[in-house]
Amino acid sequence: MAVAERVPYDYQHEFRTDSLLGLKIHLPAQTLFLANAVAAVLALAAAGAYAFLMGFTRVPAISLLSSNADGFGRVFTGHGVSALILWPIFFEVAALIFVSTILLGARIYSKKLGWLAFISMVIGGLLLESSILWGQADVGFTAYVPLVAHPVFYVGYIIFAAGALLAIANFALSLAQARADGVLKGSLPLVTYGGATAAILATVAIASGLVALVPTYLWTVGVFPSVDPIFYRTWFWGLGHTLQYVNVSAMIVAWYALAALTFKANPINEKYGRIAFTLYIFFTVPVLGHHFLVDPSLSPAVKIVGGSLFGFGLGIPSLMHGLAILGSVEIAGRRLGATGRFGWFRKIPWGEPGMATLMVSMALFAIGGWTGTIGTTEQLNLITHNTMWVPGHLHAVVVAGTTLSFMGLSYYLVPLVARRQLFSQGMARIQPYLYGAGLLIMMITMGWAGLIGVPRRVADISYAGASPDWFLPMNLLGIGIVLAILGGIFYVLNIVLTLVHGKKFQ
Amino acid sequence: MSSLASPEQGWWKPFPRHEKAWLTIIIIAAVVLSAITLGWAVMGKQNVPVASYKATPEQFEKQVADFTAKYQIPGSPGEVRVPEGQDGFMMASMWSFTPALHLKSGKPYTIWLSAKDVLHGFSITGQNLNITAAPGHAYGIRITPDKPGTYLIVCNEYCGLGHQGMTGKIIVE
Repeated sequence: MAVAERVPYDYQHEFRTDSLLGLKIHLPAQTLFLANAVAAVLALAAAGAYAFLMGFTRVPAISLLSSNADGFGRVFTGHGVSALILWPIFFEVAALIFVSTILLGARIYSKKLGWLAFISMVIGGLLLESSILWGQADVGFTAYVPLVAHPVFYVGYIIFAAGALLAIANFALSLAQARADGVLKGSLPLVTYGGATAAILATVAIASGLVALVPTYLWTVGVFPSVDPIFYRTWFWGLGHTLQYVNVSAMIVAWYALAALTFKANPINEKYGRIAFTLYIFFTVPVLGHHFLVDPSLSPAVKIVGGSLFGFGLGIPSLMHGLAILGSVEIAGRRLGATGRFGWFRKIPWGEPGMATLMVSMALFAIGGWTGTIGTTEQLNLITHNTMWVPGHLHAVVVAGTTLSFMGLSYYLVPLVARRQLFSQGMARIQPYLYGAGLLIMMITMGWAGLIGVPRRVADISYAGASPDWFLPMNLLGIGIVLAILGGIFYVLNIVLTLVHGKKFQ
Repeated sequence: MSSLASPEQGWWKPFPRHEKAWLTIIIIAAVVLSAITLGWAVMGKQNVPVASYKATPEQFEKQVADFTAKYQIPGSPGEVRVPEGQDGFMMASMWSFTPALHLKSGKPYTIWLSAKDVLHGFSITGQNLNITAAPGHAYGIRITPDKPGTYLIVCNEYCGLGHQGMTGKIIVE
């Protein structure tokens, strides 16, 4: 009797070999990567459009939308949702696909799961954006209950979150499959390890967000009589805060990748960076406490230990990565013949877009780390809480740090995966400096305004002329906004034109 | 070794000299910052208020109303002179802080603050004191005003359509 022999399915026809780095690229993974990257760039463009309207409202000399009635509530909610939720998470999903499949020469675990995740995230994102634009969700991206938005807003959040969880599951399963297929031998590459850190933190963040948002949705449709504001706030920041460390981990993955791609700079000790990534998982979650430093609901001990002390601990891994990456750049510079203490600095290819984004992103993120440490100190937060200091800090870490590093990475990954040359190398060369200069001005003027007490999230700060000294920094902020928006346009235009008009190569 | 490829076996090596030195420096920095924060909480003069109690919006509203009725300044509705040695009460609601409080310079007071409807932020402009007013919780702010004048309170937690017009007053005599 003949026994049918099980022939393993041959996946080789699903791959192509890339001519730039010699990577074996799984075609379904390539399409999914591009879909998520395009959605990310579109979300960033939306965030930029909201930023324009919001920014020039906050500049008193312009006062574009001078009151909430003009739609300021929509604009700042839209800016937060697009810039803090949609753009980074879509990009991070693309990055996770890259580090778990394309980089390893592995295949994606499930095409179907990948597309289900993507489509859920797109539908969730569209529900969020449309409820905001219709003026049914003037609640800020934080949506603190009992402020209430249309149920569609919460449904959008929940569907988006569920989609992101599916994408993370696909990432984990792809890695397991790469191991089973035998393409992944030995330890994970450092950037994949960092991606896994981001994925673990993202799982915690999204689960926590669901705990806040599902009951809130049920409240808006009348199933629950109320949702406790403090309960919501706590679980929401389990999402909101932890998500920022998903962004930070992904940003550091981008830093390591940019240093390696543009300057062949690699850290001398593999253990150092991996331990630093692991420390993020340990320190991040309790630090959501720093959102409650001036709340009546927690004891001082919880505030100081969870908010402040763990907050200082969070600085440790970031500073470790900073040394490892700058050190690797120094070594790469010395390999090129640099001498003296700082000779390697001159060897850095400052005109290379990836290296420029790496250096600008690291420098500005360091300032953001400093402003954040101030914000997380219990007593100093009494001064900075909910003032312009906070957006000043956020723009340093999430925009100048994370967003800029993602931009830099996409200058390499998008052409590699789309097989098209970057539309304009010149634009890409100027963009990091333009964007960085704009953000630096924004960080300084917002910080200054915060220290003299200008509140965040208001359309108009005149209060019948109560604080005339508030106007100077808020007007100077406008200069930074103009430069940053130009930098943002340079990026979005360049990527879109690359995908549409970039010269094809094999 | 590259960040983009699997490391060779045996990568679990002791940290090199510079990495070790840097790690030591940043751990010391974190410990020093922690010690300063803890020390200041015990010995410093300006700290985050610690007193609080639970009160439903209805309960707190009654406290504010009783307090206002008792100490209202004749002829100035909505303005209350807080007697020395007594606690003041203030309610944050969409979109005002009531009542306005008159305090004496150089005297210590505790002002109890809560919110009627949604989260509000309590910020005394020019004084850099920013705390949260949450429904269900009364928060006791201990202050000793040191300069006479009228101080504007603005809401710094987004609270809906009238947020930017939400103000209150403390008058120091």
